[in-house]
Amino acid sequence: MSGAISSVFRLPSVAKEPALTGCDYTFERALVMTVRVGIIGLGRMGITHFSIINSRPDVQIVATADPSMLVNKLLGKYAGVKTYKDYSQMLAKEDLDAVLLCTPPAMNYEILKAVAERGLHAFVEKPFTLSAEHGRELSAIFASKGLVNQVGYVNRFNDVFARTQAMVADGLIGRVIRFRSEMYSATITRAQEDDGWRATHANGGGATYEMASHAIDLITFLFGKPDHISGTSLSRLFSQHVEDIVASNFRYAGGLGGSIYVNWSDASFRKPTNKLEIFGESGKILADQHGMKLYLASARPDLGFAKGWNQLYITGLFSSVPFYLRGIEFTAQLYDFVDCIADRGRTTRCDFSAATDTLAVIDTMFADNAHNESELAR
Amino acid sequence: MSKIDRIVFGDNQFFGINHMSQDKAQAQAERFADLDSIFAVYDHAYSAGIRGIMLNSNDRATAICERFKAQASRYPDLRWYPSIPYPHKYASLVSEKGMVGALNDVLFADGAKSAFGKMARGGLAAMTFDAIRMMKMLVDEEVAIYRGLDVRVVFLQNIVTDLILGFDIAEPLIEYCEHVRKKYGALPGLITQNLPYLRQKLMEWGISDVVLCASINKIGYLMSPDVATYEVALDQNDGDRYPVMAMSTLASGAIPAPEAYEYINQLNVQSVVFGASSPGNIQQTVDLIDAVPA
Repeated sequence: MSGAISSVFRLPSVAKEPALTGCDYTFERALVMTVRVGIIGLGRMGITHFSIINSRPDVQIVATADPSMLVNKLLGKYAGVKTYKDYSQMLAKEDLDAVLLCTPPAMNYEILKAVAERGLHAFVEKPFTLSAEHGRELSAIFASKGLVNQVGYVNRFNDVFARTQAMVADGLIGRVIRFRSEMYSATITRAQEDDGWRATHANGGGATYEMASHAIDLITFLFGKPDHISGTSLSRLFSQHVEDIVASNFRYAGGLGGSIYVNWSDASFRKPTNKLEIFGESGKILADQHGMKLYLASARPDLGFAKGWNQLYITGLFSSVPFYLRGIEFTAQLYDFVDCIADRGRTTRCDFSAATDTLAVIDTMFADNAHNESELAR
Repeated sequence: MSKIDRIVFGDNQFFGINHMSQDKAQAQAERFADLDSIFAVYDHAYSAGIRGIMLNSNDRATAICERFKAQASRYPDLRWYPSIPYPHKYASLVSEKGMVGALNDVLFADGAKSAFGKMARGGLAAMTFDAIRMMKMLVDEEVAIYRGLDVRVVFLQNIVTDLILGFDIAEPLIEYCEHVRKKYGALPGLITQNLPYLRQKLMEWGISDVVLCASINKIGYLMSPDVATYEVALDQNDGDRYPVMAMSTLASGAIPAPEAYEYINQLNVQSVVFGASSPGNIQQTVDLIDAVPA
């Protein structure tokens, strides 16, 4: 369908500084080629991604696949795309360049293998798949075929967290000693009768896969995969078969250590909130999606930072995107995906390999928790 | 004479919404936990001469509307600018129950006697599902709490407007605007974070006489694609066909009020919606906004 932002707009230019921001999109390659996209899974994320990627002039959404007749009827009627109940039919019949995959994660291993077989680039919602083993296999397949592969760990495109990563990498707070990655929401605040596909780990349900994966990804984004995981505790509050609260401790060979704490049953939070605390030998960073407090042992006049506390608000950190929906992050992320297809020398900010690190952490956390529970039961 | 109030009093300060600081938002939500403290602020706004009120149809709006209706003689000349829907209601439902579960919950919320129940009895089979009819019913349900108030504009929240805009489909917006005009005798309003793009599409689709509410501030916060494109669009805009209401004028506090409104005053902007809690800030804002647009 046609739905592109018209060329009458003066579009944002390339980011001026090399540091990461949420969005460094540039239209310089746009209109050179059209990327033909199919979307598999039209739940909340699929619908959001449809709207966002459809705003790009060089993207054409050709078809969608979803088992819901209602969704298919609405998309066919209003969005003018070809709709399929079965993704394999869509892959077989449509001439595509790329797919966006927004299906429950237990389905993704099979779907992604079929996508790779068709030689299509893939963007997949987190947590991508459900084991590091599958993650490594898929990562290797896509890499060997030279296909762009990206996972929707959207925090990497948040302006505050992107800046935090750049500050840490630049050594602004010196060698990092401790971190804390926390995430809260009021997602599940009542007893769950029927959790649908979210009911079990086998389906990708539970606070670890669905929410803590974001907090873990922030850690791997900043510091890489931890070398040792211990003290994992998965607690149930409202869900019947999966955890609502997640806590664990990470250690690195170089001496770095930290913890994560994620709770999706905390009704005191109106909006999902990520909090990050990083303590280094010459400073400290307290960050959430909306701002950052930076403490420095000595001033950095070259960067405009005073000795002691510095407050950075999102209003001073934000980057603009050509089209805004539910924050800048989703747009920055999908535009990055399309840019990587157009420019094969460019790498995505979160490829399958990076997301596999998070899956490996989750595998270990589940094993650690099972071990801890059996120890306590003795 | 503009069709809408030059100054409209918003509600974010009451409900724990602050784009810049979650801690501040939390503190505000606690402060306004009871209705009396909310009305103390409304009284300050009224004393400052403000007669336009924007209120999102959130879970506390019903009580606020009821009190205004009960005390109609105290606020005889208020004009209302409700915004619908309350996105969190649907977002949490979807998180908890999935899309289909959420739809079921919304459709059958009050059992078979609700409007949705009636429609469901008429057959909710996918092939006969009438999305536009359902959209109108959802609008009616959300607007119901404002019945009895002088509603001037019914705004659609940006999360909905911009989602439809991205899909590039005219019909839902055309039907929404028609419905608000016909059923409520009010102006339709669209809140957006993509004002230049929306305006361009509305002109393409032949939709006019719609109030456009968008973040407008000199630093470009929550303005896609950027400030310069907004300035061009506003400059070219016909404020009668597309009256513009500026929100986030202070960019969540990043811009001092005098500087923020000096910028707004020189733009072709018909109206400003702002939120504040203290009498001093409310009066200062009213004083800083020029009586007529540039």
